[in-house]
Amino acid sequence: MRLAGQDLVVGYDDRTVIDGLSVEIPSGQLTVIIGPNACGKSTLLRALGRLLKPRGGSVLLDGELLHELPPRQVAQRLGVLPQSPLVPEGVTVADLVARGRQPHQRWWQQWSPADQEAVKTALADADIVELADRPVEALSGGQRQRVWIAMALAQQTEALLLDEPTTFLDVAHQVEVLRLMRRLQQGGRTVVAVLHELNQAARYADHVIAMKDGRIVAAGPPADVITAPLITDVFALDCTVIPCPVTATPLVIPNP
Amino acid sequence: MIVSVGPASFVLPRRTLLVTLALGIVLLAAMIAAISIGTLAVPPLDVVRALLTGGTDYDLVVRELRWPRVVLGAACGAAFGLGGALIQSVARNPLSSPDVIGVTQGAGLAATIALTSGLAYELIAPAAMAGGLLAAVVVFAFGARTGFAANRFVLAGVAVAFALRAGIEVVMSSAETIDALRAQIWLIGSLNGRGYEEAGAIGLVLLIALPLLLWAARALRTSALDDDTARALGARPAARRLAVGALGVVLAAAATAQVGAVDFVALVAPQVARRLSRAERPPLAASALAGAALVVLADLAARMLLAPTQLPVGVLTAGIGGPYLVYLLIRGRR
Repeated sequence: MRLAGQDLVVGYDDRTVIDGLSVEIPSGQLTVIIGPNACGKSTLLRALGRLLKPRGGSVLLDGELLHELPPRQVAQRLGVLPQSPLVPEGVTVADLVARGRQPHQRWWQQWSPADQEAVKTALADADIVELADRPVEALSGGQRQRVWIAMALAQQTEALLLDEPTTFLDVAHQVEVLRLMRRLQQGGRTVVAVLHELNQAARYADHVIAMKDGRIVAAGPPADVITAPLITDVFALDCTVIPCPVTATPLVIPNP
Repeated sequence: MIVSVGPASFVLPRRTLLVTLALGIVLLAAMIAAISIGTLAVPPLDVVRALLTGGTDYDLVVRELRWPRVVLGAACGAAFGLGGALIQSVARNPLSSPDVIGVTQGAGLAATIALTSGLAYELIAPAAMAGGLLAAVVVFAFGARTGFAANRFVLAGVAVAFALRAGIEVVMSSAETIDALRAQIWLIGSLNGRGYEEAGAIGLVLLIALPLLLWAARALRTSALDDDTARALGARPAARRLAVGALGVVLAAAATAQVGAVDFVALVAPQVARRLSRAERPPLAASALAGAALVVLADLAARMLLAPTQLPVGVLTAGIGGPYLVYLLIRGRR
């Protein structure tokens, strides 16, 4: 699974957010996109996930033009979880996760043993088997987030793009979601996520993309990207970076 | 519940299935009651016998006088129920229905112009249909500017509906009194003096719509999700909103053109069906049956309340729909 963007120009209405950006998503790795608010990281993720059509340039999925492939086919290969999705009224967890099977179904074949199996696996992977019959509305933020991830997992795609999956979660739930992302990557998937927490990015990512003003400033392993000069430049934050005493990954400490 | 036939398999939520069956029985009972009750009471068993085999003393009353009107009520109710269900699903808003987003008002304005300008009687229904569709085109054109975002679509519809209602007033106040009166009568939907011919016209549209409804039922499976999530699952939300919305508009406009503005059926019936089946969006078959039963019962009440004076059914449905709308507003969206 290769996902790449070439000379991308992306924006909303009259505003261009990204102007001429090229990016390569390493396959089979956990990639994290970091950057200050409004730097275009979500916009990039949305363009890569076919949620937003670029005005210029192209997104390539295994060498094919993403925006010219049939949407159903893309949805079988690429899973995307948008930021804070709307929860439909009165839907149970199992029912919502089953929606992830939509791209694999036909009007004459709306439920198959493969669907059943995929939903079961997705519930287990996201660790929400015991919530299956609960209404999604009644769940906590952390549980809901895992339900949405399970829906994307039921899609059984090789790649998974997540837009700020840890926002609005407490630290324990954040770590839970990050561990889940790590497990998915270890299971052979390509995972891309937009994250705000630099130390989490440094600890869990294989590959970090740092963005500023719609451009990629640096990309590479966390130790190469998350350095004091780069963070100072990208976030305009005076800081010190030390090796984490537990994992030896970079640890960003804002200067007093 | 999963129904599989060879390689084909369909998902039918058990509750929806039961609700659909129950509403079917309610409709059947309502139709028999509507034929049975009247100035000349016909025992329900004789109603069934007169319809199935004939040869009773009541054949004329049942088959010639009451049955056509009941069939028309069921047909227009089904069309309103389906139209409302489709539009509410794609707009993700229980308050959006053809009588709220301007289709009914468009048909009303066209019919008012036709009636006050002395157009041939046969041309009034086609003119009303065209007016309803034209109003929808305007609403869709506004919606297209924002990529058919669900909430904008409804707002545009409400604005267009208000403008059209003002248009009706203008045309009426500048028309001859007798013409304005005829238009006024048309505007309040009624089944009086109508029957097979009108039912046939609606039935034809329903028949043509049937295969499209099968497609729509599947396309709507991700309609309760937001556009981004639906897109991530391979759906095309904007195209779907346009296609399914257009189907709903055509159904509602076809019914309005034949019987006038029977307000609120398209709003209430899908919500009744949805609440009964506890689904996230109105189930189509149940909405059609609920709409049909609602109009048949409302027409029965309209005939009997002030008998021998027959009220137009539109007055009754508006009387039921108004309080229901208030109830929906008070209850909020949870």
